[in-house]
Formats: sequence, C-alpha cells, structure tokens
Amino acid sequence: MNVTNEDAVQSLAQVEEVMAKTRQSLVSTYAGPFLILWGFIWVVSYLGTHFFLMWVDWIWNISSGLGCIGTIFIFWRLFGRGSATRNPSDKGLVLRTILFWPLFFAYAFVWLSIVKPGNGVVLNAFLVTAIMFAYVVIGLWFGSWLMVVLGIVVTGFTLIGFHLIPAYYYCLWMAVTAGGGLLGTGLYMKLRWR
Amino acid sequence: MAELDNTIHQSVRLQIMSSLVALYAGEEIEFVYLRKLLNLTDGNLGAHLAKLEEAGYVKVKKTFVARKPRTFITATGKGRDAFEEHISALKQIIGAQQKTNLKGK
Repeated sequence: MNVTNEDAVQSLAQVEEVMAKTRQSLVSTYAGPFLILWGFIWVVSYLGTHFFLMWVDWIWNISSGLGCIGTIFIFWRLFGRGSATRNPSDKGLVLRTILFWPLFFAYAFVWLSIVKPGNGVVLNAFLVTAIMFAYVVIGLWFGSWLMVVLGIVVTGFTLIGFHLIPAYYYCLWMAVTAGGGLLGTGLYMKLRWR
Repeated sequence: MAELDNTIHQSVRLQIMSSLVALYAGEEIEFVYLRKLLNLTDGNLGAHLAKLEEAGYVKVKKTFVARKPRTFITATGKGRDAFEEHISALKQIIGAQQKTNLKGK
C-alpha cells in the first residue's frame, strides 16, 4: 500500500478527532441531561429563595421532588429502553451507578445529623460541596475530566460564596455560579459534543 | 516494523475502528448511535462493518431490547491489535519523513 506522509498525517488527525468525538458524545449522552435538569432546578430554586425567602422550604421541597422525578425519568430514557453503549462483561455497572446516589444522600444526611448546621447557608454550602465531591468521584470513576473539573470549580465558587459574599447575596451568587455552572456545562455538552 | 492494514486504512473503516477503540475493552456501541456519531447512512455503515467483521476486527450482535431489535458493535482483541499496529505504521511513515527532511538540511 502506498501511503504518503500527508496521508499518514491526515489519517492520524482523523483518528484522534473521532476518538475524542466518541468519548465526548458519550459523556454528553449520559451526563448532559442530568446537568441541565439539576442546573435549571438550582438556578430557579436559588433565585426563588433570594426573592421569596419566606417560602424557602416549599421551594426546595418541590424543586428537589421534581428533580428526583426528572432524574428517574432520565435514567429510564437512557437505560430502560437500551443505552447507547453496554458492557456485557460488567453488567452491574449501571446498577452500581444508580445505587451510588441514594447511598450518597443517606450518608450526607447522616453527616448532617451529626454536624447539625446552624443556618440555611451552612446547610446549603455543606450539601452543594458534598454533591460536588460526588461529581468528582463519578468523573474519576468514568474517566470524565470535565466532571472532575466541574465539581472542583463549583466547590471553589461555593467556598467563595460562603466565606466572602455577604449572606444576603449568597443565593444570587449560587444561582449564577453553581446552578449556572451545571446548566451551562450541560448545554455546552448538548450543543457542542453531540 | 509495523505494517499498514488495508482493511482498516479506508477512511470510513478507520473512523469506525477509532470510535470502537475509544470505548473500554468489551464495551459495545449501538448501531444507530454509531451511525449518527459518524454521520453515515445505514447502508454505508452496514457495508463497512461487514468488511471489518469478515476480517475478525469487530463483532456485531443483534438483540432485542423492550421488544425492539437493536444491534451492538464491539472491537475484538484482534481488531484492537490490528488498529494499534496500523497507527504505529502511520507514525513510522511520519517519523521516516521527518528523518529524511532533517538529513536534507
């Protein structure tokens, strides 16, 4: 076979492009819908909390409930009707991933019962950083560096909001950085990585 | 000295193998998903997969999920090895050209 130097360069570039596209597309398929859903819920809930603080419990109970229903629906769409990929040699992977989240929240509530946060800002900062830790773990687990970076960046923004931003503006800050971060990343994946 | 692989070198088949090798070993990708990812038609993807399957580089599994037929594709160990060797051969061509250029200077 006669392959010129230019052909070889072109072929290798094509290989790298397709491999990157495949990995990005799969991350977008599996993580994108969850980021968009929870990003949107966080933006709306934080803004709702800032402007209607007296309804804070209602806002978060309803939005979290809707988020859980949405999460189950997305799981069903992604896996119930057959996923884009599967690994017959590791059939328990999906089940382990699904089990991870309720177990994680069970532990988060155990820690909360021990730590007993004094106010809503402390409670929120604790939960957001704990969830971002879970994002980092999931990112490392599935080899998605974007999830790792997203988890660390949102944790950083949460710490800035908690330590440096006046409490009155905390929810606005979190709506833009945490909610916006999740929503923006999810939308970026959907628009650019599909 | 690594050798180029005639079956893999064709542009569409090179894309298919690149996509399959990007998955974890043993992981399978769904036909329609792969078709959309690589922007191919059913017939085009099917024809090239047949060639790769004939060479033993991919495995095509037809199955039913929720009573709907679905096809999953995976790169075999032989396919992964052939792909790696093909990539090494391409790198050697580029390396040889760079050496020639340096000698020329």
